[in-house]
Amino acid sequence: MDMDPALWAKMHGATTHFPIAMIFGACLCDTIALCFWHKPVASALRSAGKYAAIIAALGSLPAVISGLVMTHGDMLGEDAPLRWHHIFVWPAFALMISVAVWRGLTREQVSRRGYAGYVGVICVLTALIAITGYWGGELLQTFP
Amino acid sequence: MKPLNVLLTSAASGAAALAAAYALSVAIHRQAAAHSHELPPYVPPAAIASVPPAVLAKTGEKLYFENCAHCHGVDAHGDEGPDLHDIWVSNRRIATVVKRGIKGEMPTFATKLNDTDIAGLIAYIRTLH
Repeated sequence: MDMDPALWAKMHGATTHFPIAMIFGACLCDTIALCFWHKPVASALRSAGKYAAIIAALGSLPAVISGLVMTHGDMLGEDAPLRWHHIFVWPAFALMISVAVWRGLTREQVSRRGYAGYVGVICVLTALIAITGYWGGELLQTFP
Repeated sequence: MKPLNVLLTSAASGAAALAAAYALSVAIHRQAAAHSHELPPYVPPAAIASVPPAVLAKTGEKLYFENCAHCHGVDAHGDEGPDLHDIWVSNRRIATVVKRGIKGEMPTFATKLNDTDIAGLIAYIRTLH
């Protein structure tokens, strides 16, 4: 049986949206937790943000692997939309792993100031992911 | 664990993830270059079947200087366009790019070069190491 030539493209599409949603969710939970730091709900939101960030990092691994296989290991790309997609995805991927490790190691023992810094970083990460997704959409227009 | 150590470990993890992705990309790239997954595979025109590769590459070299050297450099090490030495793309991909161009980056040569010319160019590009 012949393998579907678009299999890895389909796998990439199927695996990318989960970490994207998780990071957006983590950013939302952490931002609200920072705004309502002294309220009882803040603790639950921080936990939700933490696990969402860790799950997003784990979910990004199949997304990265399927993307690399799909492009035959092309880390940057020679055409404009793919290149822009990759320029934003690699810092986002590294940041996503760093953020997950940081959250896992700190175990909620962090000051409000430190947490505010973290929220700033995760907002930057969310923006990077959003721009990566935009260029991913542009790629679909180029290679429908 | 001290906060600074946590920060350094996190940054190192991100860098390690990038390094792992790079190592994986190199491994996949080498495999893909050896066994192109592009379908359908590139089929050279029948007219060149009897032409020795060295002659074909010589024809391609002439066409390269006339059409490509302006952007890719006379030594093909790149100028406005990329370096063409040891390129890790399939013959089919080279033929497609030459024919269609790349939007905003490279013009199309579909009206200027025929399939035989492109086969010559591919043969020449494959000699660049």
